[in-house]
Parts: sequence; C-alpha cells; structure tokens
Amino acid sequence: MRRPIRIQNLGGARAVILHRPHPTVQSLTRQLTAIGLEVTQVWPELEPAALGADFIFFDADMGHDGQFPWEPGASPMPMIALIGSEAPGRIEWSLQAGAHAQMLKPVGDHGAYSALLIARDAFDAQRLLSVEVADLRRRLDERQTVVRAVTLLAARGKTEAEAYAQLRQMAMAWRVSFEDAAARIVARYATDGGADDRLTRR
Amino acid sequence: MTRRIEIGLLYSRSGSYALISEACRAGAHAAIAMVNADASLGLTLVPVERDPGGNVDLYGPLCEDMLRNTGVRHVIGCVTSWSRKEVIPTVEKYAASLWYAVPYEGFEASDHVVYTHACPNQHLLPLLDWVMPAHGRRAYLTGSNYIWGWEMNRLARQTITEARGEVLGERYLPIGSRDVGRMIDEIRYSRPDFILNSLIGPSSYDFLAAYSALGQDDPHFRPDRCPVLSCNLTECELPALGAAAEGLIAAGPYFRGVSGWPGAGDFGSSHEAAAFAAVRELARLLAQRDGSEGDSLAQLLCGDTGQGIVDAETHHTTLPVMIAQVRGGAFQVIQSRKPVAGDPYLTRGHDAMATVPTLRVVS
Repeated sequence: MRRPIRIQNLGGARAVILHRPHPTVQSLTRQLTAIGLEVTQVWPELEPAALGADFIFFDADMGHDGQFPWEPGASPMPMIALIGSEAPGRIEWSLQAGAHAQMLKPVGDHGAYSALLIARDAFDAQRLLSVEVADLRRRLDERQTVVRAVTLLAARGKTEAEAYAQLRQMAMAWRVSFEDAAARIVARYATDGGADDRLTRR
Repeated sequence: MTRRIEIGLLYSRSGSYALISEACRAGAHAAIAMVNADASLGLTLVPVERDPGGNVDLYGPLCEDMLRNTGVRHVIGCVTSWSRKEVIPTVEKYAASLWYAVPYEGFEASDHVVYTHACPNQHLLPLLDWVMPAHGRRAYLTGSNYIWGWEMNRLARQTITEARGEVLGERYLPIGSRDVGRMIDEIRYSRPDFILNSLIGPSSYDFLAAYSALGQDDPHFRPDRCPVLSCNLTECELPALGAAAEGLIAAGPYFRGVSGWPGAGDFGSSHEAAAFAAVRELARLLAQRDGSEGDSLAQLLCGDTGQGIVDAETHHTTLPVMIAQVRGGAFQVIQSRKPVAGDPYLTRGHDAMATVPTLRVVS
C-alpha cells in the first residue's frame, strides 16, 4: 500500500536556494516564504551550514558537482532542480546530482508547494528503499553462513530440516535475526571445523 | 479633482451559486459607493462588470476581456475555487490582481490574489475544535465534487482522525446535482455525531431539506444531537433554505448584527462584508499616491505606508472567528474567538497540534 504523503512540518522548515541572484530566486523566495519556510540564497557553492537545511533548490543550468558538500546523489535532504535549459546533458547532470523534483525557470507564482511535497516524498521513498536494500543485501551475503551453520548442526546427528528448525529456535531464543544466529553458530564451531571460508572468499 | 479608476467585477448573476455572487456583488457596490462619496480619497471607482453565468469556462476569457479591452487592473470576483484557479493564470499574465471574497480551502498564496474571507484555520479548524467536545467525534462528510469539497473533507478527516475521532462516511455530488437520497440513507444507518456539509448551491439546499425531514422522524438527527456544520453558509442563502435552515451551525468572520469587522457598516452576510473589505482596501491602496492606478498588486502593497489588512507574505487577512447557529431564522453567535491571521498552508503555529502522536498508552 502506498504511504500517505507528509503534508505537515513545512512550517519553519529551512530551504537553501543555490542560484546566482536572479528574479527567479525572488519569485521562489516569495512562494516559499508564503508557505512558511525560512529561505536563504547562496552562490556559488553550498556552505557547510547547508547540511542543516531541509530542502535544497539548485540551479541546473550553471551547476556542477563541486558545489555540494556531499557525494553526487547522496544529499541528506530532498533536492529540487531549477531547470532553465532543458538540454539532455543538463537534465542528466541534475539527476546524477540527486534531484528529487524539478521546477522550470522562470519561476513565477506557483509550483513550489508541489515541488516540496513531491521532492520530500521521493526522498523518503528513496531512503526507505536504501535501508531495505541494505538489509536484503546483508541477508544475501549471510546466506553462506546460514548454510554452514545448518551443516554444522546437521553434523551432530540431525537431519537438515531438524538442523534448520533448531537454528530458527536459537534465533528466537536469542532474539536475533536468523542470519545473526547462524553467524554465532559458525563462530562457535569454527575453531573445531576449520577456517570459515566466508572470511577468505574475497 | 478626483482620479477615475476602473475596477472589474466578475460575478455570476445566474447559476447554482448566484445567491453568493449577488451578496459579494452587493458588498462591492456598497464599498464603491462609499469610496466615491468620500472626498478625502479623491477617487471615483468605476465598476466594469462581466457575468460568466455560472459557466466555469467563461471566467478566464471574460477576465481577459476586461484586462485587455478596458482600463481594469484589479478584479473583484469569483465564488468557486474552480473559477478562481481558472482566473489566476490570466491575472498573472496581465500583472493584474484578483480580490477573492469567499471562504476557501487554503493551500494557495498567489502573488496576484488577495484573500479577504476565511481559510481553514479561520473556519474549519475552529469549527471542529468546537464540535468534537460538544457533540462527539463521529463524523459524516459531504461535499460537492470539486476542490472545495475534496480539500475540506481531506483536512477534516485528518483533524478528526488525529483527535481519535472517526469518519463514518464521505460522499460527493456533482455541482448542481439534487441526488441526495443516498447520503441521507448512509447518515440514517451510520448515526454520526455531526455532519460536515461542503455541498454548494441546490445540492446543499436539497440535502438540508432532506436532513431536516429525517430529524422529524428520528430525534437523533435533530440539531441538538447531530448538527450539520458548514464553513460557507451565510445569511445570503437562508432564503433558499427556509425552515430547513433551523439549527444549522456555521463558522465565519461575520454574522448579521455583529460589529467590529470590517468596520463601519451593516452587512447582509460575511460574503457581502468580505467583498466590501476588499474594495475598500484596494481603494485605500490606490488613494495613497497619484499614478498608482498602473501599479501591480505587489507594488501597491510594497508602497503601502498605512495600516493595511493584507499580510505581505500570504496575502490573507486577519479575521474574527465566530461559530453561530440558525435560531428563529437568523444566525445567533454561540462562540466568539480571538481574531486569527489567515494561515493558508497551516504552517504557522499548527504543526505542533498536527503532529501530536496518535499512539496511546494501553494498560
């Protein structure tokens, strides 16, 4: 099911506009101030203070990677591209820089509110997915450990199914994940059973 | 010598919401007459009128016609949010302004619009705040099928849910539809504590008549037990409702006979009062300086040296907040709150309330 979007909490949120002084900055500032945000404009690069911002609006026309105090695509807050020239190279760069939403220049009287909500939703979704992917990747990496743990338990006179059930019981009793329980079993028996090849497979 | 300045009036004098249009139009004309009679202002306002006849597709073209073919730079007009959204691109294109004198659903703060009636922190939120302790937290939501109904009910649902209340039903009718039977049936079976009515025009009139009849059959549905609440009902629509209006509850910045806002004058309804306030404020801004008739709204507000009513950031105004009930054919104020500044995005002092955790201690 789709999560409900977050509509609250824009009051007092901090927006940084990374753009040279321009009427677009004025129009955007007016819109953001009306919505209730605190706005600062900076150029040519983000100061470390920008790390405390809730939203970054950045110029897609004159922008480059060196303006951001983080790796491309790894901003700790939602980013909105201000696109003037719809040249494919600039759009590509905006996406690599990590745009979660965009507004077309010249910015006039509207567009900021939907850009804020869409960017924050995309940012939240991306962060949620990264956490899920990291967890799944870790569990995938641990698959070999699970196989080893089941083999070690089975070597003590159980069927594979019984060993598997026993490992599940242990994980529940220890209140750890299945993979963590497997890692404990392997660590415990590794001294008897030789080196854990998972540690040497690289 | 007085300066002659044309101002636009864009109200539908026929169609489903004509009563509201006429109230706004009357307020605008009253203010024009007052401004023209006041020698100290040195202005003669000349109304230029266009009538879209309730057809939403005519608002944009008629507004453009005024801005292109007459001297009009500032337009007082629009009743539905749908028509307002049709007009905004046109006033933006001509660097003109729209003065909007009707309660609306918020989430807008155009640089080219002034909003002189209430938005949700001035009508819906105080109304829910009043009704839930007084009648209970089980609601039924109705609305006309366009942005006013949708957004009012979305915000009501969110507010009621956060207060641990319950929405028992939510149903919409196309603008102008009189097909209210299904809503009444759902209300009869779900037995809510209150009903929020965001229907407009004939849909609303028929719904209220049918609900009043339901109350004759079953005392649960009488106003003292399960009232109908509205954020846009004013005196101007009472003639269309007749006896079915008895017991209805509305939130608004003005009810007939209450003094204070918008200053001197006896108004038929808050619609009339808000349109009056709009024209008078526009006249005050124009009167300040010769040549200001060519200024945009932003320039007028920026050059204001007096005490304006328009908030520079949001273009909304500070309004009294009252809750009133129809008793004996007229609104009687049952709760009066402090004046509140319009907060269209609900970002100024509402977040603390909106983010109260919905978890509760269970033992």
